[in-house]
Amino acid sequence: MQLSHTPEEERFRDEVRGWLRANVPRGKRPRTGAALREYDLEWQRRQYEGGWAGISWPREYGGCGLPLMQQVIWYEECAEAHAPVGGSTFVGLSHAGPTLIVRGTEEQKRFHLPKILKGEAVWCQGFSEPNAGSDLASLKTQARIEGDHLVVNGSKIWTSYAALADWQELLVRTDPGAQRHKGLTWVICDMQAPGIRVRKIPTMSGTGNLCQVFYDDVRIPLANVVGEVNGGWDVSMTTLGFERGTAFIAHQIHLAATIEKLYGMAHEIRAADGCRPAIEDGAVAGQLLKLRAEVAALRAMTYLSVSRSMCQAVPGPEGNIVALCYAELSKRVYAFAVELLGNEGLETHAENPDWLTDYLDAFKNTIAGGTSEIRRNVIGERVLGLPRGGR
Amino acid sequence: MDLDLTDEQQMLRDGARRFFREHYGFDVRRALLASETGMSAGCWARYAELGWLALGQPEEAGGWPCTFVETAILLEEFGRALALEPYVSTVVLCGHILARCDHGGAARAELQAVVEGRDRLALAHDEVGGRYDTERPSVVAGRRGEDFLLRGCKSWVLDAQAADRLIVSARPEGAGDLALFLVDATAAGVRMSTYSLVDGTRAADVVLDDVRVPASCLLADEVAAPVVLREAIDRAALARVAMALGAMEAVLQMTADYLKTRVQFGQPLGRFQALQHRLAEMFVEVQEARSILCCGLAHIDAPAVQRGAMVSAAKVVAVNAARIVGAQAIQLHGSIAMTAEYAAGHYYTHLLAFEKLYGDADWHLDRFAAHAVA
Repeated sequence: MQLSHTPEEERFRDEVRGWLRANVPRGKRPRTGAALREYDLEWQRRQYEGGWAGISWPREYGGCGLPLMQQVIWYEECAEAHAPVGGSTFVGLSHAGPTLIVRGTEEQKRFHLPKILKGEAVWCQGFSEPNAGSDLASLKTQARIEGDHLVVNGSKIWTSYAALADWQELLVRTDPGAQRHKGLTWVICDMQAPGIRVRKIPTMSGTGNLCQVFYDDVRIPLANVVGEVNGGWDVSMTTLGFERGTAFIAHQIHLAATIEKLYGMAHEIRAADGCRPAIEDGAVAGQLLKLRAEVAALRAMTYLSVSRSMCQAVPGPEGNIVALCYAELSKRVYAFAVELLGNEGLETHAENPDWLTDYLDAFKNTIAGGTSEIRRNVIGERVLGLPRGGR
Repeated sequence: MDLDLTDEQQMLRDGARRFFREHYGFDVRRALLASETGMSAGCWARYAELGWLALGQPEEAGGWPCTFVETAILLEEFGRALALEPYVSTVVLCGHILARCDHGGAARAELQAVVEGRDRLALAHDEVGGRYDTERPSVVAGRRGEDFLLRGCKSWVLDAQAADRLIVSARPEGAGDLALFLVDATAAGVRMSTYSLVDGTRAADVVLDDVRVPASCLLADEVAAPVVLREAIDRAALARVAMALGAMEAVLQMTADYLKTRVQFGQPLGRFQALQHRLAEMFVEVQEARSILCCGLAHIDAPAVQRGAMVSAAKVVAVNAARIVGAQAIQLHGSIAMTAEYAAGHYYTHLLAFEKLYGDADWHLDRFAAHAVA
């Protein structure tokens, strides 16, 4: 066991820090729309030009070919430098890209991976449907094979950034006669294809990135199928392995920066009595410091999980442990922020309304990409070896 | 002791529930949220006809002098329907101040206007940086002959945009720390900037720039003002507990219905034991909230220390319940509950606003501790 970073890793960190200091975007990130897409792609382009895109991706597709630990260090320095996290480039970088690396054809990889790294393409996910949420395998969006094309009909929902995306990782049913998991296909869908209609779904936080997508005889070349036709479930498990394993490393690390920001805020904001700084209220300090300790534990758990992932091509079911911890803890951290703000936490016009928006948006952390309940099922059955529940 | 409702109280509950069911669906609410005033003047007129604006007010002003239980019953239904009209601001908070300051004159006339639905009121008391205690406002009431001149800024004036009059707390020059004045919302020198809160209700920052107020509109002087104000805010806090209870019951019912009908893995979600237990826990939380509301109601007319302790206890318990019930309702529904097109998220933001208005859980916990020791 080696508990500290190697000299090589430290050198890497110094270099990253220097570059980020000079290159992190300064302007406020737009919440939505074309402006958000442009902002995110511009930041990705700059990383690519600086030689920092796809740190743990293979060199032949434009990546740096470095170990996952270097990717973690990159995210840590990004958080330190207040670089933007997640956003419209998230699906491409954190699950579509990694899925293609493991499962894509040479042609698919050569076409798509450099585009993702160069900030030329936004991806979105098309898995959930109105009647297939936690029970993903019950999905009904149909694709029939016509010559060398798939023809898709149906609808996907809870697709973030669909209105801004160029490509979609789409899971469809190609064999309606087969058993639930057996007749599915994972395919790359061009979001500009005729027959696609995107509806924006207003959310309680007021941000407008959530969408429903409708497919009306949408033709997709069979060459866009990733893995085998009717072998999509297996590919989607690879995608979800990334989504529940390594995709949220940046977010987990960002949470540490968030809690430090709150720590600073607790010195400035007044306690409920209106007199002392909030941090001098024992109850507030206790709650805040407990969260800070939990965030430190989450950080260490991320390291453990990364260390384990470095020996695997695709994260295993253990990825759900850190995913579950992050999801639940992030909600508590943002809830605390809104509590700390007192009445101002309710204002939608406040100078820094991001706390309220982030808090309301954080509800998705325990829902999207597998609810906390599904993650607990996976931990129970596949990590702890309990008998499979009545599903 | 008999904790069942009387026939009259049951009629009030049934009538209110029916009214909201028939006239205040989710679509009505969404349309009102998008409107300029964020409430319905038409519904307000109906509330007057139904006698709801007279609840607890003295007969001399045309009121119906019942207990606070009736107010709580009605507000539970407001919460269930997520009704947006400023009942708590106008009737519970300002109505109580007017009734306690009713020596005939301006207060009596204004109270009649409230009961008849002609005027809506808002309390302008909080100030920037004051958090939840403003014992000595920075707004000053100077003298100009017989009249007063109010000068300064108020923030967080709930429902100001729908108000015809404001009750403003100010520090009278040379006469103590706090007095209460009745001020026309459109008087010269009153400027408002309105904003939306997370639940879509409105508040405003109010600037008072030498606003001239006749002596007859001094409602309470330095002796009465702090006492009356505290009473009124305690009643508003407890009224919001009743609203939160109605909201929690409604969203619990929605969630139960969803678990019974939403099919995943070939069976209704409600068949999964983990989710059954979650729903049962939410139900027990709601029962706790209902029980502590009864405690609060039993002490609402008690001396200040007991009243304060029990109102604070009610707030602390109800906030805890609201957090659990509101958040789990979203989790058990999944993504659909995060959309503005579905009511569960509206209940959640309503409960989030409830947490903080009229003292947040921290403030009430401090007061509960202080009064329990005393």
